[in-house]
Amino acid sequence: MKKRLIELKINGEYYEIAVEPQRTLLEVLREDLGFTGTKEACGTGECGACTVLIDGKPFLSCLTLAIESQGKEITTIEGLSKGNDLHPLQKAFIQYGAIQCGFCTSGMILNAKSILEENPKPSREEILKGLEGNLCRCTGYNKILEAILAVSEGEK
Amino acid sequence: MRIPKFEYFSPSSIEEACSLLSKYKSEAKILAGGTDLFVKMKKKEILPKYVISLKKIKNLNFINWDEKEGLTIGPLVTHNDLVNNTIVREKYDFLAETCFKIGTRQVRNMGTLIGNLCNASPSSDLASPLLVLEAKLRTVSINGERVIPIEEFFVAPFKTALDPQEILVEIQIPKPPPSSSGSYKYIHKASSVGETLVGVAIFLKMDPQNLICEAIRIGLSSVAPTPIRAHMAEKFLIGKKIEEKVIKDSAEIVSSETKPRSRPWYRKEMSKVLFEEAIFSAMEKIK
Repeated sequence: MKKRLIELKINGEYYEIAVEPQRTLLEVLREDLGFTGTKEACGTGECGACTVLIDGKPFLSCLTLAIESQGKEITTIEGLSKGNDLHPLQKAFIQYGAIQCGFCTSGMILNAKSILEENPKPSREEILKGLEGNLCRCTGYNKILEAILAVSEGEK
Repeated sequence: MRIPKFEYFSPSSIEEACSLLSKYKSEAKILAGGTDLFVKMKKKEILPKYVISLKKIKNLNFINWDEKEGLTIGPLVTHNDLVNNTIVREKYDFLAETCFKIGTRQVRNMGTLIGNLCNASPSSDLASPLLVLEAKLRTVSINGERVIPIEEFFVAPFKTALDPQEILVEIQIPKPPPSSSGSYKYIHKASSVGETLVGVAIFLKMDPQNLICEAIRIGLSSVAPTPIRAHMAEKFLIGKKIEEKVIKDSAEIVSSETKPRSRPWYRKEMSKVLFEEAIFSAMEKIK
């Protein structure tokens, strides 16, 4: 299939790239542009490891075409910290031991960010419901929940 | 996992999409949210040569309310759009709740109602509430328009009444009458996406004083090759006072109308339990 020239805005910067239509945003982020913080696990939209924010909302980059991601603000995990200054959620994940193997972490943090933006004071239940599409096989979710709650309380 | 290669079109009007679809017919697939389409393509269950995206077409994400006609929903409306819509939450609360149950936060943000219907999964949660609301589905093709009652839409597992040249462009949901309410109760598998094992939707119109059932519709998900209505139980209930014995008897009829392919005993038993829960919940809202 013919490649198409597209422009993606990722973490505030513009990238011009030629892609075939069937390529997912996940593939282009990882393989063409080096944003390897975005992970692939199930590849079928069940695990949430590939979650990125598009215009602030959580999207599964494994089921999103790169060519359909033009003209939007894409945020990957690399876009959260400012230099060496980590995002409050990143700091809390470290502080509360919410990271073990780390494979789910970027999707988890980006989705958590969108949850808190929608509702700065969510209940435990609301956070768990929001995270139902992000699977973690290490932590048992408790520490992730604690980390997110800590940040939400911090914003009061 | 990769999506197999395809040729991509992003028409800027429905007319253009229709003419592409009439050219490529069953070799083409329509793309809205992609949460079903791309999974099936990755698993090589379907391999369309052409993908026609609706996303460049303007004004397809409408949710319109009309005091006379009721609600209309466009093909790019996501589950989340419905969850967050105040009119839907007020007039069709159980439809909004059902949308909040579907998939995951990410899937609700990407997947569309119309895409969910076109996928025609026997376990579709949306199908039952839309069956009991007697939704109508408007399609277009180069040959013109037609309106399909939702009960005629699901013809077999993952098969709809859509012609390969047709695009489903609108769900039409009638305005609910006074003293009516709806409810959807389900149990689901313990899996990442929580696929529904049994789902029961009720639409009830009842006299709040004497509890006489004036109208009832019962929709069932995941207990037959397609989502179905329980017409026999509906006929049984009409005109009766809704009380314990009547509910128990109608639950038996509902169960007898199911045709589960797997775990039949469990599904039949649970359809009784969920029917009772659903009708109680609908009654509570009217009282």
